[in-house]
Amino acid sequence: MILNFRKPMAFLKKDFLMEISYKFSFVLQFASIFFSVVMFYFVAKLLGDAPSVQSSLSEYGGDYFSFVLIGIAFSNFLSVGLGSFATSIRSEQMIGTLEAMLVTPTRLSNIVLSSSQWSFAFTSLRVGVYLLIGGLFFGVSFAGAAVLPALLALVLTVVAFSSLGIISASFIMVYKRGDPIAFVLATSSTLLGGVYYPISVLPGWLQSLSYLFPITYSLRAIRLSLLQGAGFDEVGSDLLALLAFSCITIPISLFCFRLAVRRAKRDGSLAHY
Amino acid sequence: MADLVLETHNLTKEFIRRKGFSSPRRPLDKTVFTAVKGISLSIERGEIFGLLGPNGAGKTTLTKMLCTLLLPSAGNASICGFDLARQQGKVKSRIALISSEERSFYWRLSGRQNLDFFAALHGLSKKTARQRIDKVLEIVEMSDAADRRFQEYSTGMKQRMGLARGLLADPEIFFMDEPTKGLDPIAAWHLHEFIRNRLAAAGKTVVIATHHLAEAEQICDRVGVMYAGEMRASGAVKELTGDASLTDFFRDLVEQSMVEPSKSWDVGGMPVEGMPVEGMPE
Repeated sequence: MILNFRKPMAFLKKDFLMEISYKFSFVLQFASIFFSVVMFYFVAKLLGDAPSVQSSLSEYGGDYFSFVLIGIAFSNFLSVGLGSFATSIRSEQMIGTLEAMLVTPTRLSNIVLSSSQWSFAFTSLRVGVYLLIGGLFFGVSFAGAAVLPALLALVLTVVAFSSLGIISASFIMVYKRGDPIAFVLATSSTLLGGVYYPISVLPGWLQSLSYLFPITYSLRAIRLSLLQGAGFDEVGSDLLALLAFSCITIPISLFCFRLAVRRAKRDGSLAHY
Repeated sequence: MADLVLETHNLTKEFIRRKGFSSPRRPLDKTVFTAVKGISLSIERGEIFGLLGPNGAGKTTLTKMLCTLLLPSAGNASICGFDLARQQGKVKSRIALISSEERSFYWRLSGRQNLDFFAALHGLSKKTARQRIDKVLEIVEMSDAADRRFQEYSTGMKQRMGLARGLLADPEIFFMDEPTKGLDPIAAWHLHEFIRNRLAAAGKTVVIATHHLAEAEQICDRVGVMYAGEMRASGAVKELTGDASLTDFFRDLVEQSMVEPSKSWDVGGMPVEGMPVEGMPE
């Protein structure tokens, strides 16, 4: 059992050591969070208590800054879920370490999943910093937050986005660059998923489209739990939607990945970039 | 009875390439390039086997297939009794690939941190890994430099780290692809001594892909000469060459292969089937 955790932990340790070896970049990433939060704070001030803002955000308490803070913080999981698997493969291909890993008795699926752990851990840290800055310096209150539903929504979000990320990694495995999945999903999710504005401001037909993307359910559930203290009964339908989405996409993603690995091994392009 | 640790039967690798936009009228047309053609080989435990051949002969493709990095197009192979295609996990637990590729390490981590990571991928527990890392660092004489970043090492030190990584899981077969590339003569001599006196003496099997004939002549028990994907001759160096040097034998074989690609050779009492060769230079 210990050996089962040893491999993922080794990846986490290796990626952490690599990350902190670039000290300036490490610090800069946290500084960028602060500037991003400050920028949206002033945008929120500009919008103020306008009646249209109040009515659009009434479901979440009416405060735009709290709304957008959670949107930008948790949409990080979208980027990382969609991109980290493909990025980790491509990075190992380019560094030249992928073949050295593949001759060890570790499955490629294990290598890909473990390689993206650091991205998720680092993103969780970044999201924590977003919420901390918002709470400490800009008066966002999480006093009545329902933590358990929010955590469950977060887990389901990571699983849903990751399954799409694995499909994206399959493209990278075969075509090396130009993955259409990540591009289309990242752009559409940001546009339609309610990251910067509630989906209620979208025209009706775009609102209908937004329900095809898991981020719509994730952000709604997390916002309601953290800002309004909504329990499982209130966010249950969103959680079920995320679960259903994962149940459909996980088998598809694993199938695509298996096909991609087989093709890359047949073509001899596994370590090419 | 011979204790065979590696056997291949008719192992073949074809690469299919689409013509793409180089042929705008028929971009989906395929060309088939056969990199390795029907290789049948048997290697015994404790043997040092040299895979010789000019650039593009198929040595690296064959090595990659035997290391499970490439799927064969036809034929089969077994390593330590395990099927190469169906029991890859068990095969991988018994082999190590040592290449001259310096970029197979994380340059911003120390040598020890790199070894610790790869030890985990080999499934070694923390305690065992620590002991093995200390031991292999001592063997390759890198204990003092182990905590320096990999990027600070010289070429020779990087090669020694590659060897240390290969030794971590105490494999039965070592595949070495151009192991002395970039090494100075002294460092190369040290590596040869190590292969002969430490690995082979301990019953380990070593398969070396090289085009350095002097290296093969010096340390290999047997060699196989590849040309255009085929094994043109194989056997003990003296059996193959007689009174000639390996260099002369190799040159004659390659020249004959270019002139008469479909000829069968009978080398050192070991008939080698000649096959028509595709894409042979005229």
